[in-house]
Amino acid sequence: MNDAINICNLTKSYGTHAVLKGLNFCVRQGEIFALLGINGAGKTTTLECIEGLRKYDSGSITINGIMGIQLQSASLPKYIRALEAVKLFAKWNKTSPDRATLDALGIYELSEKPYYQLSTGQKRRLHLALALTRNPDILFLDEPTAGLDVEGQISLHEQIRQLKAMGKTIILASHDMAEVEKLCDRIAVLSGGKIAFIGTVDELGETIGKHYNITIQTENRTETYESENIGTSLLSLLMQYKEKGETITDIKIDRGSLEQHFIKIAKGE
Amino acid sequence: MGAFLYGVFLQWKLDIRSKTLLITCYIVPLLFFVIMGGIFTSVMPEARYTLIQSMTVFGVTMGALIGLPPSLVEIYSSDIKKVYKANGVPLYLGLALTNISAYIHLFLMSMILYIAAPLVFHAEIPENPGRYFISLAVFIAVSLSIASIIGLAVKDQAKTSMFSIIIFIPSTMLSGIMFPMELLPKAFGTIGKLFPASWGYKLMTENVFKFEHFLPFLFIFVLAAVMCNILLRKVDN
Repeated sequence: MNDAINICNLTKSYGTHAVLKGLNFCVRQGEIFALLGINGAGKTTTLECIEGLRKYDSGSITINGIMGIQLQSASLPKYIRALEAVKLFAKWNKTSPDRATLDALGIYELSEKPYYQLSTGQKRRLHLALALTRNPDILFLDEPTAGLDVEGQISLHEQIRQLKAMGKTIILASHDMAEVEKLCDRIAVLSGGKIAFIGTVDELGETIGKHYNITIQTENRTETYESENIGTSLLSLLMQYKEKGETITDIKIDRGSLEQHFIKIAKGE
Repeated sequence: MGAFLYGVFLQWKLDIRSKTLLITCYIVPLLFFVIMGGIFTSVMPEARYTLIQSMTVFGVTMGALIGLPPSLVEIYSSDIKKVYKANGVPLYLGLALTNISAYIHLFLMSMILYIAAPLVFHAEIPENPGRYFISLAVFIAVSLSIASIIGLAVKDQAKTSMFSIIIFIPSTMLSGIMFPMELLPKAFGTIGKLFPASWGYKLMTENVFKFEHFLPFLFIFVLAAVMCNILLRKVDN
């Protein structure tokens, strides 16, 4: 099976600042693929280069299929209504909107509301509906749940899963590890303009290894220490506290979270 | 073609919902007509011979220069243009739809003036209505082309209003609709000739077609079309 997207040695600079320094990755057909990174890592730049919204300096991008794009920051004329926008974009792309999808996205409920009166969640649903008017094979979602409340996030996650079930390839940019864990088949972590990790969420979890957080609480303070060797570290910490004459009131030991690990990779630590 | 026509129809409806265009294309020009029409025809009874033309020049200039640019700024200086591009809608569509819609609104407003002026102020209907409407059609197109440059070149609404007013005031004051051109100081008369309103007024009040009065329109329109093309490419990049 062909890859839906293949990126080879992609570079992009803004002036003297190199944002992408030779990216290489592929997205398989039918998977949900996440591009992760801290703010400013180059997620949106990468997506916009693939989407054709931004020119890149060198490298190659191969896309197999029609693209539908939901942008991170998007807008429409103030007085346009949801169904009018869907109809305009569908007519322009010579497609007819799928009633079931529009219903699932709740577009009919919004049909009489002008764009400026829609909430953030409603606007995101509308822009997803607009991205679907091209009947795309590959769907780009840039920070799809940013600014949404919990209910809105759950609803959008469900819609993304349904789109995957329909055979669509979905690429999402996010900095929300919890969202990625729930939704994605594979992830790529961007750091310093390069891919620092690519693989499944489970594979990312495996790289955590024997990493522990030790939280020690005394009457005056609470401190958390990171450790690779729990036995030695704990013994050493207990001795330090004893030497200082501090009375320990509680100790907690836990494995580092995937999110902490992601942040470390993303920051290139 | 169906998509384009739907776009025109939709934009026309959006313009009606937007109070800006309703005010600049209908309410202010018609209010101006009621007040100034009354004053002009009572102070100078001969004004009834050119009342339709002068009120139309004011209305079209106002509707085009002050009404259109905000719609263009809304599209081209915001994320709307990215949404258009990302979803396969060409960038020129916003410019084309807003222009066609504004054209229809301005033509309708001009028709209202054409019908109402003789009834309310006994204004004289142009001798050759066919030539009048062709001149009007050209004048609206040229006024909108200048408004398009403002809407594409200026990036925020406040500055757009400022630029629009800077062009609107001399356009109307020095066009000959308020004071006859021959009474204006020579320098002001020359400045007036830089704006399409003075040529529009000339073209619409003439009994015979003079090609030399049509030429400035052609020049301004071609120049504006080239500039709009350059500005659109700039937006695209």
